[in-house]
Amino acid sequence: MDGNTVLELYRKMWVVRAFEQGLEREFKKGNVPGMLHTGLGQEAVQAAIANSLRKTDAFFPDHRAHGLLVLAGTPGEKIMAELFGKATGVCSGKGGSLHSADPSVGNFGDNAVEGSMMATALGVGLAYKMQKRDDLAAVIVGDGTAGRGEWHESLNLAATWKLPVLYCCVNNGYAISTAVGDSHATAELYEFACAYKMQSVQVDGNDVVEAARVTAEAVDWIRQGKGPFFIEYKTWRWQGIFSGEFRPAEEIRYWKEEHEPMKLARDYMVKNHIADDAVLEQIKAEVEAQVETWITFALESPPPDLSKATANVYVGWEVETR
Amino acid sequence: MKRMSFVQALNDALDIMMAEDERVFLLGEDIGHMGGDFGVTRGLFTKYGGERVRDTPLSEAAIIGTAVGAAMVGMRPVPEIMFADFLGTCYDQIVNNAAKMHYMFDGQFKAPIVIRTAAGGGFGGGPHHSQSVEGWFMNVPGLVIVGPSTPQDAKGMLIACIENDNPVLFLEHKALYRVRGDVDEGKFSVPLRKAHIAREGTDVTIVASMKMTHEALAAAEELAAENISVEVVDLRTLRPWDTQTVLESVAKTGRAIVANEAPKMGGLGSDVSATIAEECFSHLKAPVKRVCGLDTPIPFSVPLEKVILPNKDDIKKAVQDTLAH
Repeated sequence: MDGNTVLELYRKMWVVRAFEQGLEREFKKGNVPGMLHTGLGQEAVQAAIANSLRKTDAFFPDHRAHGLLVLAGTPGEKIMAELFGKATGVCSGKGGSLHSADPSVGNFGDNAVEGSMMATALGVGLAYKMQKRDDLAAVIVGDGTAGRGEWHESLNLAATWKLPVLYCCVNNGYAISTAVGDSHATAELYEFACAYKMQSVQVDGNDVVEAARVTAEAVDWIRQGKGPFFIEYKTWRWQGIFSGEFRPAEEIRYWKEEHEPMKLARDYMVKNHIADDAVLEQIKAEVEAQVETWITFALESPPPDLSKATANVYVGWEVETR
Repeated sequence: MKRMSFVQALNDALDIMMAEDERVFLLGEDIGHMGGDFGVTRGLFTKYGGERVRDTPLSEAAIIGTAVGAAMVGMRPVPEIMFADFLGTCYDQIVNNAAKMHYMFDGQFKAPIVIRTAAGGGFGGGPHHSQSVEGWFMNVPGLVIVGPSTPQDAKGMLIACIENDNPVLFLEHKALYRVRGDVDEGKFSVPLRKAHIAREGTDVTIVASMKMTHEALAAAEELAAENISVEVVDLRTLRPWDTQTVLESVAKTGRAIVANEAPKMGGLGSDVSATIAEECFSHLKAPVKRVCGLDTPIPFSVPLEKVILPNKDDIKKAVQDTLAH
């Protein structure tokens, strides 16, 4: 992979990291309502996906993909403001963290019922095929989704109908507190896709170079009209559970220190003389400063106009207001 | 004008819309070369091909999810769920996805799908092939529920639904599939959210829909012999229903019966009767009365099923009781 691409991936990863760290800080201060799922630790996966999609593709982000929403092209302040529930958010504050859609960049919004959008993605893929477009529908799901009926219905139909659907399975090891292998017939989730005769691969989701290479190949495969593709990205989330950390100390050390995505990318670039520490520090500082402007924008934005509470329930019909 | 069955009227509507608009496509179980369990899509597979009349596996959540996704990018899908009882398997797709999308994304997406499904009992279909499910969906903002009672309305409303930008649950009562009636030829639409006065009268209003409209009309005919003048309001759109037509009728007659095949508790009948009581209290000469299914599942044995489901005689008795109040 050429140096500039790797450097760009590294910048993308920092967008994810800085966005989530800033968001987490503001959440702890009480400025972000609701619940928070962060993508910390999963930066390489999001950078890899963003690297291969184009704006005319559709993508369905998962709970931890705030950074990806920005990488897709939506101004960062509009995503941040949505997460703060503000009028200036992409959905006027009505969607929040789990429903921040922006069709102008192909962001079809997350669905908080894990796995349900795997069925929705089928429809986008089918329509694109019927409309003779060479765009695809990417659906990003966590490992916990593998237990849902829609997971299996979707894989079966995408394979049967040869639909242009890219499955990005972000396997971070746990569905909240339950280890993948404790609740599924296999912990290697790409094996499910194999059973549905779908092209599938497992990749180190913390190695951004490898993850980006595999994602680009999968996208190429789909664009050639060969049908769906399933990628399982093995990664690990930093966030514990609501009550705190539950995973063994050695496991935490491995993923947060030894096999940490930023470190792996940095090591790769230094080793291959793509960039030195000073350049990389510069990227980090630039992105962090930019994220602070998004947070300031969100904090200073007004709440939605109260008429929004009853707007857009039906297309073209009003509902009763208070 | 042409005489045709409810099934033929639906088929005609689909044919007209598919010929006119290539964004319209159908998907569901056995709807292709078989033409659907009840024959509603018969002939369309041959005419439009397997791409647009798409047979699916028994994956109801994927059927609705596929329809929603395609609708998000400009298509006009008409999915079929073979029996309304199976809607439980795709409830989430309808309630959390189709019905909420326009709201939660603040107008950036819409989900114009028309879910056709065979509902209702009375033929020994048993607990999982007989239910009236409108109550399951009454509490879902953003969803439209339609239930026609005549072939003319079946055709005109199906066309209106396909052209509407909202997600629609289109209930086809199985007992009505073979009912014949005069139907306008060519393309026309019957407006949504507009009830129809199926029979004019002055003494009592019966609010009904689908098969219950026919039961109410039969009751009204018999009551006319007793010099009782009954007005029958056929709701046609069940959510959001036409409060204006219902309230005007009740204001005129002063008495109201609400007939609904589904169990009484928490259903459409409850909503209509509560609204009449709230909005029309000063006009009422007697309490609103509901004639609904009993609060049980539907049994297989036909004599038992007859105990559960309301009919003409139950409606007649309710009218007489109301007048005697």
